[in-house]
Amino acid sequence: MQAWPLIDAALVGPLRRSPGRNALLMVAIALGVALGFAIYLINRSAADEVSLAARSLYGLADLAIESAAGLDEELYPRIAAVPGVALASPVVEVEGKLADRRGSLTLLGVDAFRSRQLQSSLAALAGTMSRGADAFDPQAVFLSASAARELQRDTGDTLDIQVGEQTQRLRVAGVLPQAGLEDRAGVMDIAAAQWKFGRLGKLSRINVRLASGTPAERVRNAIAALLPPDARVTTPGEASNDALRLSRAYRSNLTALALVALFTGGFFVYSTQSLATLRRRREFAVLHALGVTRGQQLALVLASSAIIGTCGAVLGVILGVIAARVGLGAIGGDLGAGYFRGLAAQLEVSGWEITAFCVLGVLVAIIGALRPAIEAARVPTAAALKAGDVTSRELRTHGRIVAAVLLLAAIVLLLPPIAGLPLPGFTAIALLVVGAVIAMPSIVRMVLRYAPVARSIPYQVAIAQIAGTARYATLSVSAILVSFSLMVSMAIMVTSFRTSLDQWTQRILPADVYVRLGYVDQSAHLDAGTAQRLGALPGVAHFETGRFARAQLALSSQPVTLIARSANQTPIPSALWLTGTTQSQPRGDAIRAWVSEAAADLYGIRTGDSFVLFLRGERLDAFAAGIWRDYEHQNGAVVIDSADYVRATGDTAVNTVSLWLQQGVDPHGLENAIRDLLPATQYDLRTPPDLRRLSLQAFDRTFAITYLLELVAVLIGLFGIAAGISAQVLARRGEFGVLRHLGFTRAQIAAMLAIEGAVLGAVGVLIGLLTGGVVGLILIYVVNRQSFHWSMDLAAPGWLLASLSAVLIAAAAGIAVVSGRQAMSTDVVKAVKEDW
Amino acid sequence: MLAVEKVNKTFVGARARVVLHEISLQLAAGQYIAIMGESGAGKSTLLNLIAGLDVPDSGRIVVAGQDMATLDDAGRTRLRRARMGFIFQAFHLLPHLSVARNVGLPLALNGAVSAAIAVRVEEILGAVGMLDRQHDLPNQLSGGEMQRVAIARALAHRPSLVLADEPTGNLDADSAAEVLALLRTQLERDNAAGILVTHSTVAAATAQRVYRLTQRGLHEHPAA
Repeated sequence: MQAWPLIDAALVGPLRRSPGRNALLMVAIALGVALGFAIYLINRSAADEVSLAARSLYGLADLAIESAAGLDEELYPRIAAVPGVALASPVVEVEGKLADRRGSLTLLGVDAFRSRQLQSSLAALAGTMSRGADAFDPQAVFLSASAARELQRDTGDTLDIQVGEQTQRLRVAGVLPQAGLEDRAGVMDIAAAQWKFGRLGKLSRINVRLASGTPAERVRNAIAALLPPDARVTTPGEASNDALRLSRAYRSNLTALALVALFTGGFFVYSTQSLATLRRRREFAVLHALGVTRGQQLALVLASSAIIGTCGAVLGVILGVIAARVGLGAIGGDLGAGYFRGLAAQLEVSGWEITAFCVLGVLVAIIGALRPAIEAARVPTAAALKAGDVTSRELRTHGRIVAAVLLLAAIVLLLPPIAGLPLPGFTAIALLVVGAVIAMPSIVRMVLRYAPVARSIPYQVAIAQIAGTARYATLSVSAILVSFSLMVSMAIMVTSFRTSLDQWTQRILPADVYVRLGYVDQSAHLDAGTAQRLGALPGVAHFETGRFARAQLALSSQPVTLIARSANQTPIPSALWLTGTTQSQPRGDAIRAWVSEAAADLYGIRTGDSFVLFLRGERLDAFAAGIWRDYEHQNGAVVIDSADYVRATGDTAVNTVSLWLQQGVDPHGLENAIRDLLPATQYDLRTPPDLRRLSLQAFDRTFAITYLLELVAVLIGLFGIAAGISAQVLARRGEFGVLRHLGFTRAQIAAMLAIEGAVLGAVGVLIGLLTGGVVGLILIYVVNRQSFHWSMDLAAPGWLLASLSAVLIAAAAGIAVVSGRQAMSTDVVKAVKEDW
Repeated sequence: MLAVEKVNKTFVGARARVVLHEISLQLAAGQYIAIMGESGAGKSTLLNLIAGLDVPDSGRIVVAGQDMATLDDAGRTRLRRARMGFIFQAFHLLPHLSVARNVGLPLALNGAVSAAIAVRVEEILGAVGMLDRQHDLPNQLSGGEMQRVAIARALAHRPSLVLADEPTGNLDADSAAEVLALLRTQLERDNAAGILVTHSTVAAATAQRVYRLTQRGLHEHPAA
């Protein structure tokens, strides 16, 4: 058999016959691939940049010794003396609060002569220092290229850093080469940094280079034996992983959401090819009768999908690269979430990445077409050649398969996260959606059984048509279901999150005015005396203070944020949104601590538990007096009484002062009095409405990209609906011709089609609401909790969902009517001559 | 019942040609005629013009006292729905409706109530010998059976005029004879006028008069 006539008849011909539908399929695959590829590229570029930046802080070091509380500098000579250590380089790291703008700059205090042996780029620094006064000039700072760029500073410029309530002026002594220090940072002499930032006798880190041939593990153990309990030995690789860890869940969720578009595209391929297979049933039977084997039929259908998939994937990869470039430039490597501020990620695309996403697009197209292709190959020739479409009304239900898939989804849901990612949750969502699609024949059957009876002839014929083409109907409804359920679930999750965040900001901000200076590890802070004076300002009824610090809840773990709050008049529990409390009391000297949900999840702490808190090198026994909802500290946070904090650390500085005003006092009227009290200090002054607005703005910025991804998934779903309904309607020209002969007016046919579209749309929307509601619950209670450890209260956007439902049903009806008009624009009277 | 007066119809476009030229025809109630002609002679076009599915370039068509030219599309549709019945070569039963619902559809379209529909459907299906198959779907029937149902559907609402376009083209000789006999019987019973378009001289012979449609016009066949 010659291949070309067969390919022409069964592959090229059908592709040519429906150019519009095939173009839609191609665009759907292209959009799915483009989104997935763009998000992947942006994530990967940002992650590369973060890793590079974190790694560049360590230079050629093999190991690093770190402690959240800081290391005693007397440890340094002991580390340097450990056998196998070729070089030890001490580092002091401070977050210098920028005086003239929001934010901070990482300042690294280094021993230039030692660090240059680990970081060749610092040789220039050492050289400069050794030549002149810069070597010991405590004002001198060398900026990394990215810091110089962002702060718009060059050699000779000044840089003001807030230390405590004072401003320290530094002089930019030079700008380091880009490759030397990728991070946005400044480098200065270690002694100057210790002196200027109140870190005398303290180190943040000791970078260690091993002698060649020394077993790293042995040295690591030897060093570990010298360390205090809250210090740890790490590797630069682990450190760069830590730098990425916080954003990992966010990046993974975005990737999953981007792949939803591809999944929807794959389902679009499935529904379109299934419809085409049903329509071409007789054509397949004829081909088989003429001698085309079942295997050839299977291959031909898959090949047509592969061709569409290839075109779509290539287009998608091109669009993906463009979108990634635009995305990186416009909203940054964290896509607006604020994880990587100041990061200037560069986009580089490798050949294997392009190949992988092309293959993914083609695979999705082939997998989507697999079942229709098998059905095409199984068309019973004799039956299909007979007049009348027997198979379109067959409705095979799969009750057991549906039950098994849903049961599997429930079981998967019980599994813990894998590598910290909610993969079981995503798998359960996919299973649930697939289960709903498989259940669709049963649902359609039930709907038809209980469809209300009406005298309207168009209604009766429309319902009979849906019943008679139940398989077509099932596929059309499924297309609506998949896209709409995902849209519903995202809408529910985002609304729940936003509503909870809004309530949370109102609940944790009970004061009238907040004065804030500095944050964890930042150089700026307010003195205790200043806090007292703020509290004594005219019009202030009372005040509370807060201090941020690093703490550890377990050895060798990441630090959590410690918040030391005063409880002058407001008890700590009443200032938090507690989700768990206990009546039991702490034993012995254990201090009362209120643990955030993230910290409770990460460290397995429950209310009433006793645990150890490492704070500034001190080991404190703590008692979990409560668990609180916290949307601010993804790494976890612990609140303790400031009296306990001062007792343990001796640190009386504060970062926030919350002021409760007397009745009738205008918060804005207090601004001048505060300015007079802190004339040379750059502080933040906010009222609760300001903070609420800022937090909601940040939320909307973070979720802007998810709205976009969701929109594209819905768009692809609408393609599916349009293609499904229009293909069906266009194939019914003959039927419209007969109806016209029988006396149906054009308006009656339009009404019939509108009813068909609306009924299919309504069924899809109803099941989509139900499925989307369940998926939304999984997103809220499983995926989000496992990703970010944030709980939230369920809030469904009723009006939004009702409006979207109405729009979708109207769209389905409209598409049916428009397609009907298109079908009737040609001579439907002649269509009765065609053998349909 | 039907008056066709000097009707002309030309197809325009790439394959422009005169299809019908000065065609005239009178048909009284109870009259049953056959129109024969070669493929492309315009037989189906004439049926479409009579049915109001197409409009002539000139000339006049009056059905049951209504001048088609005075009616818009909706008006012609209402006239067709109430006064005409159709039988097609390919049966064209709606595949998703049962036999009974197919037959009842014209009645429903004309506003009959359910009880009346049920009575008439039973009556007409009984007349064409298909009552025992009323719950079946079209794909469960043979060709002859489908055409019996199509006849029942065409006559269910007691039309004044039945238009049959090659109704036996898809049937074997025995079935064709049976269907034609049934059609004539039913037309006579309802005193309806009928136009049978066919290539078959055997089929045409069942009509009261036979016309031949050619480029020169519509003429009564001398053999009739």
